[in-house]
Amino acid sequence: MTVVLDVITAVLFLGGASFCLLGALGLLRFPDTMSRLHAAAKAQTLGLLLILVGAAVQMSPNLAPVLLLVALFQLLTAPITSQIIGRTAYRTHGLERHLLLRDELADRLEHEGSPVHRRTDHSDRRERDDEDTEDTEDAEDAEDAEDAEDAEDAER
Amino acid sequence: MTLLYGITLAMIVAAALLTLVRLLRGPRALDRIMALDVLVTMVIAATAVGMTARDDTTAVPVLVVLALLAFIGSVTAAHLIEKREGMR
Amino acid sequence: MTRTDGLPNRRGHGRARRVFPHLPMVAWLWLLWLLLWGSTSALVLTGGLLVAVAVVLAFRLPAVRPGTVPRPLGVVRLLIHLLTDLVTSALTVAWQVVRHGGRTTSAIIEVPLDVDGDLLITAVAELTNVGPGNLVTEIDRRRRRLYVHALPAGGPQDIARRRSEVKAVERRVVQALGRRSEDTGGDTGGEADDRGRNP
Repeated sequence: MTVVLDVITAVLFLGGASFCLLGALGLLRFPDTMSRLHAAAKAQTLGLLLILVGAAVQMSPNLAPVLLLVALFQLLTAPITSQIIGRTAYRTHGLERHLLLRDELADRLEHEGSPVHRRTDHSDRRERDDEDTEDTEDAEDAEDAEDAEDAEDAER
Repeated sequence: MTLLYGITLAMIVAAALLTLVRLLRGPRALDRIMALDVLVTMVIAATAVGMTARDDTTAVPVLVVLALLAFIGSVTAAHLIEKREGMR
Repeated sequence: MTRTDGLPNRRGHGRARRVFPHLPMVAWLWLLWLLLWGSTSALVLTGGLLVAVAVVLAFRLPAVRPGTVPRPLGVVRLLIHLLTDLVTSALTVAWQVVRHGGRTTSAIIEVPLDVDGDLLITAVAELTNVGPGNLVTEIDRRRRRLYVHALPAGGPQDIARRRSEVKAVERRVVQALGRRSEDTGGDTGGEADDRGRNP
């Protein structure tokens, strides 16, 4: 019995770790934010799920449900996180336009002449102008983000 | 089994190092948030493997808290960025 | 479910009607509490119930009514598809990382939806995010359209395939949960169907 469980854990752990590694590789290699999101959202999530299930197999019966709960929670929240980050990525130009085969959202916005598109055009132009300053701005963004997380921590 | 845990942990650590490179390189704040989110995922994974290896279950609540915080943190940070970019 | 049960009680049991929609949330929080403590002693049981009620009272949420009765068989099929989708999507991305790396091309595709209702559109968007190769970037709630970022997209045939995949997810959601929820729909029915046929 324990041998069977050990084999299950071994397979799940190795599979999970491989997906983690491939996800991280994708995060590094893919060309733009949206593509990297694919690697983070899909390969990464499956990797963690496999590892959690593999650990739950070895746990005592009153702790295994908690690990499965963490897995369930990950399963529920990962798509939400990726949708929100994906939306933000599109709106803040986290896309390499020349690698896009087709962009039907931009087509739609252009067709309707909506304000989102005008803002897109405008900021695209400006972005090229002050490309060198962007990194420092991003650093500020990241700091702010951390502050926000700290605030969340404090609330808890 | 010890060897298995070692290999698994080594792979997760390698993945975490790759993610760290993305975290440092950026180039956008959103990439960094994403990398942080993935890094938390890896911490959860590594903790789960470590718990199994040492047969020590004290860290289970930590996993729950980490999973919750990663979600709330990433979503809040993404919202902040969108707000800021929208105002410029 | 809530609707049909609630209607006859409207006059006599106003209080019960207000409490009832929140009961699933209380039950879920209670279960969560028990799981986290990992025991069912009297103290944990009563404490968990008190905390669950307190949380529901302190953070009032609008009661989410599905509006349709979930069909067990459809739900089971949806869950099985969810698990296989998880694996295939991870494999797709992993293969793309190894094979193409930095030179992947992608596309943003507009997918008109037939379903109506916040809950159903959310479900379709979430399940699309789990499925292989697709990530939802934007949801147009009013016009009922999803904008999907498809990662391995080499040509027009890929785009057509991705679109049909999202439609397949939608079909499974309809089979599990129904087509539209309670207070929307009716007058905005026809035009989305036409768009779905010839994109």
